[in-house]
Amino acid sequence: MINLQNIEKVYRTDTVETLALNKVSLEVAKGEFLSIMGPSGCGKSTLLNIIGLLDEPSKGEIRIDDQKTANLSDKQLAQFRNKKLGFIFQSYHLINDLQVLDNVELPLLYRDTTAKERKQLATEALAKVGLSNRVKHFPSQLSGGQKQRVAIARAIVGRPEIILADEPTGNLDSAMGNEIMDILIQLNQQDGTTIIMVTHDENMAKKTHRLVRLFDGSQVQ
Amino acid sequence: MFKHLFKLIWNKKKQNFLLMSEMLVSFLVIFAVFTLIVYYYNNYKKPIGLDYQNLWVVDYNNTYNPKSTDSLNIFYENLRQTIKSMPQVKEISFCSDNVPFFQNQWTGDVHYKNASPSSDQYTVEDSYKNTLNMKLVEGRWFNKADAVAKTQPVIINEDLKEKLFGTEEAIGKLVGSEANKNDMRVIGVIQGVKAKGDYAPPRAAIYKRTDTGSFHWLGKIMIHVTPDADAAFEGRLYKTLANYMKNSNIEIEHMPNKLKSTNLFYVVPMIVTLIVACFLVINVALGLFGVLWYNINKRRGEIGLRRAIGASGRSVSSQLVYESLILATLSLIIGTFFAVQFPLLNVFSLQASVYIVAMLLSIIFIYLLVLVCSLYPGRQAAGILPAVALHEE
Amino acid sequence: MLKNYFKIAIAVLRRRKFFTFISLFGISFTLTILLVLTAFIDKVVGDNYPDKKRDRSLYVSRISMIGKGYTSSGPPSFYFLTHYAGTLKTPVKIAISSGFNETNTYVNNKKIVVNYKYTNAEYWDILEYDFLEGKAFNKQQVDNAEKVAVISKDMKNEYFGDVSSVIGQYIEADNVKYRVIGVVENVPITSYMTYSDIYLPYTVAKDGGYKTNKSYQGGYFGILLANSKDDIDKMHNEYDEMVKRLPITDKNYDHIYSHADPYVTSYVDSGDENHSGTFIAVTAISIFVFILMILPTLNLVNINITRIMERSSEIGVRKAFGASSHTLVYQFIVENIILTLLGGVIGVILSVIALQVINSANLIANLELTINFTVLFIGLLVCLVFGLLSGVYPAWRMSKLNVVTALKAQ
Repeated sequence: MINLQNIEKVYRTDTVETLALNKVSLEVAKGEFLSIMGPSGCGKSTLLNIIGLLDEPSKGEIRIDDQKTANLSDKQLAQFRNKKLGFIFQSYHLINDLQVLDNVELPLLYRDTTAKERKQLATEALAKVGLSNRVKHFPSQLSGGQKQRVAIARAIVGRPEIILADEPTGNLDSAMGNEIMDILIQLNQQDGTTIIMVTHDENMAKKTHRLVRLFDGSQVQ
Repeated sequence: MFKHLFKLIWNKKKQNFLLMSEMLVSFLVIFAVFTLIVYYYNNYKKPIGLDYQNLWVVDYNNTYNPKSTDSLNIFYENLRQTIKSMPQVKEISFCSDNVPFFQNQWTGDVHYKNASPSSDQYTVEDSYKNTLNMKLVEGRWFNKADAVAKTQPVIINEDLKEKLFGTEEAIGKLVGSEANKNDMRVIGVIQGVKAKGDYAPPRAAIYKRTDTGSFHWLGKIMIHVTPDADAAFEGRLYKTLANYMKNSNIEIEHMPNKLKSTNLFYVVPMIVTLIVACFLVINVALGLFGVLWYNINKRRGEIGLRRAIGASGRSVSSQLVYESLILATLSLIIGTFFAVQFPLLNVFSLQASVYIVAMLLSIIFIYLLVLVCSLYPGRQAAGILPAVALHEE
Repeated sequence: MLKNYFKIAIAVLRRRKFFTFISLFGISFTLTILLVLTAFIDKVVGDNYPDKKRDRSLYVSRISMIGKGYTSSGPPSFYFLTHYAGTLKTPVKIAISSGFNETNTYVNNKKIVVNYKYTNAEYWDILEYDFLEGKAFNKQQVDNAEKVAVISKDMKNEYFGDVSSVIGQYIEADNVKYRVIGVVENVPITSYMTYSDIYLPYTVAKDGGYKTNKSYQGGYFGILLANSKDDIDKMHNEYDEMVKRLPITDKNYDHIYSHADPYVTSYVDSGDENHSGTFIAVTAISIFVFILMILPTLNLVNINITRIMERSSEIGVRKAFGASSHTLVYQFIVENIILTLLGGVIGVILSVIALQVINSANLIANLELTINFTVLFIGLLVCLVFGLLSGVYPAWRMSKLNVVTALKAQ
């Protein structure tokens, strides 16, 4: 499903050169739930960004569904993300000026859908995360856990094959964190969605199929 | 997509309110400026109705007061012969004080059926038309035979014709100096003269022929001179006039200069308005630009997210441009509502077409302004790297 | 505390240079336009050369006769000014002068346009022209109808060229030779009651209107001089009483209106009893100023709100550590006034430049626009109004910011 080979990422400023990722190779199978752990600054987020096609590696190759991604144009990349990938962030990134339903509909706006379809799909996605009763609320009226559930609904509304979650429980207490985790596990088991999750929390990581540890940009396990 | 943008704007109405009111006020100011420009331009395009090059005006006061009208007429006929015999003089005509491009203005109502438009009243001689090179549109100009006509013959200009008769025939119709007193017959229609300069419309005007007693109160002489008439000739002419009319103050003025100073009355306010409007527009443009630019910085997270979930750079930048254009549209709808009141209520009695053209121009102008101000911030937004934007917070 | 605010204000201004530029641009240019406008108004109605006794003078510039369907309005006649206004008890003197008229003269085949004005001898007592050489004509010279003239500095230069003295020389205007007896400093044409190129005794007027015209109207202005400032009201009322008693001689009219007014009122008198010229002038200027100020103000409010939202975390921290909304509003308004004053300083500098340009362009002869204290004071006032207007609403919005959201925003 996802194939990374010898990925290197170098950040350059005028004076300093930082090696964020050093020869990382990774193979993720379809339907796998993978977690990535490591201390701050080890390159977890960089790796996730590269998998999510938000960032390009300095060296190495990524294939998703056996398709090379290196030479895709901005527009093709955008379409690719839109169809195949779903994102969940630590700080939710909901648009505060839009109601919950509109937030969830967002990915569908960038593909060919009618307003009716969008509404239906978004309502279904919200039902899946148990927020059917908060459709007309604004993000500011929700708790952290509810916000993250909206973000999950947004990630799955487009039925992507892969979900990339960047510390989805990082801002939540353990009870809420477990709730979110349960939703993710359910998505993985019932729909067969491939999930890659970056986390700090050993307990969360234990619930996944496989754990990858990074240290100073290198894969240690 | 538009519905989505509307929702965004509507939910942010509090923040957008000020931006919109700024666009609204700008629109109204620009509308006023364009109305002025369109009005001036329309007037400027119209023919001026006379040949003012080489046309001089002598201003005198009639202090010669003999007992008999005959000797008064002989006095001025002699003067006419003297001036006309000068080689630089092509044509000469005595007339009433209200000469085009001068402040003096004589107005009175002209009556026909229910219409009684206020009109400029000129008293002129047979030679007036050729001295000023006015254009006859219909009928004929005055001639000697008119002195014995039963009903007083008059000539009107196109503007008065339209006000009195519309599209009907004017020649031969009787009009009145007072209501129900049809004491004047229209014998000709001439092209309107823009008596207040290039930028003011020709006013309705009626021309009456001088009669035997007119010299008692006429106060101006129009002289059409040859192109080689210079200051030396003007000095001679001046001496001749001053020596002949001993007790009169004499002044000679040149019509091109008079036109220039009359135009100043319109041009100076125009220039001041344009300078002020320019300054306001720059001000508004900078303000819009600044606020839009800031908004984009504030929405980096949102933009990063949109990119992550599949919006291309171009669609993000056009989204931002569309957003500001929708804002502009909303303001313009309200602004147009106010602007439409001007032609509807006929404020300032300008033609409706002037307002409509001005309105269209201002709408285009505001759209362009907003477009220009949002293009650059929009482009900047397209350049936001989602990986960076999403990890800032 | 104030010093602290000042430091923060400067820091904030430097942080967002583009916004600072927009704010300063808006403030300074608006102020420049307003300052040029006030300089112009101040010069036109406030400059008291040559009528330095304005505080105890009243001006008669117009007499109107109203009847059914007829209106006639214009300057009064010499006859009216001497026989009616001249017999009032309160005025100690009355200056009478004709409006200026144009005529030509030809020197060395060059045409010169000459504005001439007829005056009485008292005119020179009431109005204090600066004589560069010679002196004015006296009552005896007027009575004898001597052909003497007082000319302006510009006229001297144009007619005689660059010579030291022209007293005793002859100037020809309107085909008559006048002996020059005085040269005065120029008056701009905007002071239409005192402007002229040459001043002549009214008795040499060719048309003789001063003795033949017995109607009320006739092309002359009058200036009534009271003994002291305190007599002004008395003089004004006495004049009004006199006008009320005027016999109506023309059956077309049933009312006569005329007022002896202070300079400014009489300057803008339109002759319409129902709509005073002062009212029209003030309304027109107010509308202009309103339009001129509303857009930059909206702009500033917009930018100020943007600035505040940007600083929401600072505000949150301040509130969390005990600043009341009150202090925060105060702080922001102080900041804003500092910004406006900065814009004001730039505006004043720009105005000086603009006035220099306008003066050197010489749009209106002899109208030297300067920034004076009135103008500066108005400028300062405008700055404060600006600062308050554009600061109060954003400050109010700021004080309403919820501490928690403000802190969370970062």
